[in-house]
Order: sequence, then C-alpha cells, then structure tokens
Amino acid sequence: MKKLITLLFLTIGLVSFGQTTANPDVVCVNATGEQYFVTNTPTSTYQWTITGGGGVLQTGQGTNSITVDWGGVPGLYPNAVTIVETTASGCVGNPITLNVEILELILQPVSSFCLTDPAYTLSANVGGGTFSGTGIVGNDFDPATAGVGTHVVTYSFNGCTTTTNITVNSLPVTGPIQHY
Amino acid sequence: MKRILTILCFLLTLNTYSQCLGSQTSTITPVGPYSPGDIVTINYTLSSFTQINVNWIHAFEFDFGTGWMQNTVATSGNPGNPGGSIGYWLWDNQHTFIGGLNFGPGWRFVNTYAPNWGTNSTGPFNISFTITVKQTCNPEDLHIGITVYGDCQTGGWNNGACCNDPIYNIYQGNVQTVPIATSNISHY
Repeated sequence: MKKLITLLFLTIGLVSFGQTTANPDVVCVNATGEQYFVTNTPTSTYQWTITGGGGVLQTGQGTNSITVDWGGVPGLYPNAVTIVETTASGCVGNPITLNVEILELILQPVSSFCLTDPAYTLSANVGGGTFSGTGIVGNDFDPATAGVGTHVVTYSFNGCTTTTNITVNSLPVTGPIQHY
Repeated sequence: MKRILTILCFLLTLNTYSQCLGSQTSTITPVGPYSPGDIVTINYTLSSFTQINVNWIHAFEFDFGTGWMQNTVATSGNPGNPGGSIGYWLWDNQHTFIGGLNFGPGWRFVNTYAPNWGTNSTGPFNISFTITVKQTCNPEDLHIGITVYGDCQTGGWNNGACCNDPIYNIYQGNVQTVPIATSNISHY
C-alpha cells in the first residue's frame, strides 16, 4: 500500500511538473530528431541556439519545442543548447542553457571462443549498461550456453546501443586412434 | 480598504505651506503600483498663491519619471484663473522664460497684455490630467513632481520673493514588471 501511494505521488508529480532533464543531457552519437522543449507561454517567441557537437537544429525555431540532429564526435559540449524567450511586449529573458554529452559506446574487443571455454566477462568504455543476446548471463558471455555459431551481443546504456559479433567455434572432431 | 488607502495617500501628500504657496494636495487614481500600459488620473490643487512683493504666479511644471509616456498626457480643463489677468493657460512641453528658465512640460499662463507677467490670480488652482505608463521591461522611475513658478523664477519681475518654493511630490514609485521565467530545457 505504501509503495502504491509513493507511485501515485510520483506519477502526479511527473504529470504536474513535466519531465526534467539532467544536466548534462546525454545523447548518442549521430542521434537524430532529439526533441528539446521548455514550458510554453503562447504569447512568447523562443530563439534557440545549438553550439558544438555537430548539432543541427532541424525544426521548431521560434517555438518552445525543437528537434536536433547531433554529430558523431563524442564528448561534453557546454551550453550546447541555449534558449532565449521574448515576450509579446518585446522583453527579453535571460538565456537558459543545457550542456550536452554525446555518448559513443565501445565494447572491448573479444576473440572467438571454443565451445568449452569458460564464461567471459564483457566490458565497455562506459559501465553500468546492460548486455543482451544469446549466451549472455549478466555481464558474462558463456560459449556453452550460446552454442556454436556467430552471436550478436548488444550493449545498452542510457538509450544508446552498440553491438558486436562473437563466434563460438565447435570442438575438433578427432577420429579413433588407428594403428598401422 | 481601497477607500482607506486613497485617504491615506491623500493625507500623505498634504504639504506644508511654502513662502508663496498655499497648501498643495493631490490624488492619483487608481492607487499604485503601476504596470506597463496603466492609465492613471492625477488631480492637483494649490489652494492659494500669496503675491509677496507683487510676485505673480506663472506656471506649473511637471517632472515625470522615465516610466511615464509624457506624450500621453491628456489634460482636463486648465488650472483656472479666478480674478486673474487677461490671458490663458497653455499646456506647453517646452518654453524658455525671459530669465532663461527652461520650462516644460506643464501649464504656463500667457498674459495677453504683458507676456512675461503671469497672472495676478491668487487661486485656487486645480489641475487634472491622465497619463499612461510606458511599455517597458524595466522597473523604470514613475515619480511625478510639480514645481510652481512665479516671477522670481521666470524673470518676469525681480523683487526677491517666492524664489525657493520646493518641488511637491505627487507620486514615488517604479514600473511593476513581470520577470520572464523561462523553464529549464527538457529533453524527451
């Protein structure tokens, strides 16, 4: 019951006050159509500026909501998104800014495995994400569970994903010992 | 409550007698503070003007803070000229009196017999006008003051009286502006 009430309050809070974005905001490399917005005052106009990160404002200039395509160079870009509000009477507000971190996930390379190899712990340049795919148990790839063949392993973090192929080779089939 | 505030403002604006000036009173409605675009009505009364050493009254000059749109002044009647000289009151935005006083904006009396003499009326004088608050983003000054000029200040008559009657404050305040509260940027 206590959990239910907490959930209810959380839901009401999100509906009442809208989504909040951490600063810096994390986006994936080459992300497209990322939407940014502020609370709308219908009589105001909004001037957005996108700086760094290869960001290009695609739609919505002048309104309270825009879409942005980001570039492929990872890194932290201070004040990458800036907005200035102008009221109907021509009064200009203070700039509001948002830092953006462009994130590229990179998996540590792995060689192929033999079917009998022990489980191997996978890692990426950014921890805290989730591995998925055939043969994945937690952060480990287990060749025996995966079975022979090439398997696609996916790593996800903060809405970004990267994949890699891992091959499990079959054991050699050795014939019976012959005696000449 | 509004009535009490109006009475309070009225009492606060009562002034002590100056050398030549009788009592000065004023009202400003509605009661402040004021926002851009507000229109207010000012009523001012000078009960009498004492003609010490034959100093006559010449003009009422207004000092408006930058938050007022001076070009929106709409007068209602003129100050009146009971028992005064032949002539008329003119609302003037700028005039240089014979003694070099740079006047304006306000009412000045044009004596049709002798232009530099003012009027020998001793009042009372009543002034009423409306004025509009400027469209502005800043809390600009909204003070309104009035200075009464006689011969001594204008140079129409040099007899050393009524030279230092102080400015009378009708209103003190600033434009009330609403801060622009842009929310933080959110990302879906």
